[in-house]
Amino acid sequence: MALLEVVGLAKSFGSVRAVDNASLSVEEHSVTALIGPNGSGKTTLFNLITGYLRADTGRVRFAGSDVTRADAGTLYRRGLSRTFQQARVFSQLTVQENLVVAGGYTWRQLFGGRVTNADRDRAGQMLEEFRLGHVADLLAAELSYGQRKLLEFAAVLMSKPRLVLLDEPTAGVNPVMIETMERHIRECHASGITFLVVEHDMNFVMRLCDPVVVLDQGHEIFTGSPAEVQTNSLVLDAYLGA
Amino acid sequence: MSRLAGPLRGGLFIVILAAMPSFDLAHWVLNMLVFTLMYAVMSSAWNLTGGFAGYPSLGHAAFFGLGAYTEGLWFQHHSIHSGYEPFLILPLVGLLAALVGVPIAAIAMRTRADVFAIVTITLLFVAQTLAFNLRTLTGGAQGLSMTAPPFSLRTFERPFYYVLVLLLAVAMGITWASMRSKVGLSLAAVRADEDKAVGIGVHVVGVKLMSFAVSVGLTAMVGGVWAYYEGFIYPQFAVDPLVTIAIVLMTFLGGRATLWGPVLGAFILELAQQYLAYDLGGSQFYLIAYAAVFLVVMLLLPRGIVPSLQDRLRQRRRRHLVDANPSDGDADALGRPEVSQGIVLSRAQMVPLVGGTS
Repeated sequence: MALLEVVGLAKSFGSVRAVDNASLSVEEHSVTALIGPNGSGKTTLFNLITGYLRADTGRVRFAGSDVTRADAGTLYRRGLSRTFQQARVFSQLTVQENLVVAGGYTWRQLFGGRVTNADRDRAGQMLEEFRLGHVADLLAAELSYGQRKLLEFAAVLMSKPRLVLLDEPTAGVNPVMIETMERHIRECHASGITFLVVEHDMNFVMRLCDPVVVLDQGHEIFTGSPAEVQTNSLVLDAYLGA
Repeated sequence: MSRLAGPLRGGLFIVILAAMPSFDLAHWVLNMLVFTLMYAVMSSAWNLTGGFAGYPSLGHAAFFGLGAYTEGLWFQHHSIHSGYEPFLILPLVGLLAALVGVPIAAIAMRTRADVFAIVTITLLFVAQTLAFNLRTLTGGAQGLSMTAPPFSLRTFERPFYYVLVLLLAVAMGITWASMRSKVGLSLAAVRADEDKAVGIGVHVVGVKLMSFAVSVGLTAMVGGVWAYYEGFIYPQFAVDPLVTIAIVLMTFLGGRATLWGPVLGAFILELAQQYLAYDLGGSQFYLIAYAAVFLVVMLLLPRGIVPSLQDRLRQRRRRHLVDANPSDGDADALGRPEVSQGIVLSRAQMVPLVGGTS
């Protein structure tokens, strides 16, 4: 059974049907891509899946249970986390604190130390992996944009998620950082994390993802391997507007 | 050692405050200090919601009034013997206000920033209208009087003074503890980007309600002390928009989301106001002078005194370090690359000027 199943999801803003009867499924241990022209509803679909928006109709199932009405925090604690298009990190917290705050703690831990030794160890490991150890005590505001994207990615991994939704992980970062990002996704994937990735960089998608889901006007029009997507006439129409 | 520096400084401050009455200060001085302490406690309490959580409540005076009336009504039915009974029920007054605050916060905190400010100021006017009109309970505009405390006139202010010093210690202790726990970390996340905080599993609603409940509980306890100190409760003073405005200004002046900011702000503004009120007589001119003081400080130190000073200190220390090691440009003592070169930002500089959340 698929880890994430989306069935007939729809969301309208006024008269605009941003997501219109969209269905897709993400198999466990896959790196699934979600692509589509601008305005095709990718980010809205992300917001619906992760509980940031309420769907008008349709259902979302994650790891076998219905999560259509679950809020973002509940989903995060159950292992479904996401990043944002514009690298949303807490700029006045330190890099280390950014990781710790995303660590998913209990009510009891809430009254414990702000950054305990255990937190420091765990965050330290993650920072080593992401080669951000040397900036651990800087404010997130002092990082470059690419580093902030890495930090946001590292932070959502702190809760040991099963599925991570990445919204344009390479948008606005330099080519070296794109490679770094790709390497991290591959490493996490190897360690058992499933990904659903929205991305405009087609080279990146073709190298990394399989299958690829194509969305157009709020509806999925094609699902297949990267090679199939590149030659499918429906997809070409959607992108080229023929 | 540095871990103990904070509590030591705080402890020393409280000890000095507690020692003040032993110097045989004049009544008018102690009276002024009593009011200053009231504002210091309330600003510190307000800071928990308005500073740390980034929810600028303008309704705190409603809870001040709630505390005052609770205290007043309780002692309409109970007599005062030793004079200390009204202080002993203060924890109950605080608890009651906190319990009342939770459902209110649960509704009001669904809005943010400026909308939240407007929702809470509505609460203030609702409370004031109730105080004026629930005549059987509050006595309406006639007010409610409390039994005069049987304290010796020579040391009349002292019990109130000591209780307020204790409350200030509690308020600052809570602030300090929350800054050093994950409550403070969670509140910082809420203040910076609440939607993102929800999405990474921060107990957003929980910490918001907690900060509001504790904040209004402390405020109500000050209301209780005030009612007993004044001996009468009139609705226009018990639920007074000027009280709300004063505690907000004091916190802004001293620096939001800092431990010392609200206390410093309260000492400066309340003492200045009292001094100006004496100096300029009974007219309302002191309000203009008060505003002028505030304007000047806001022009020179827009983020509040404590954050601005922290920045200056940090920058000076940095310059000092660079002067001491002229060759140390690229790497620090551990050989790590200097990542932050050129961008000397501090925590405080990141706190936005107006409104905690955007």
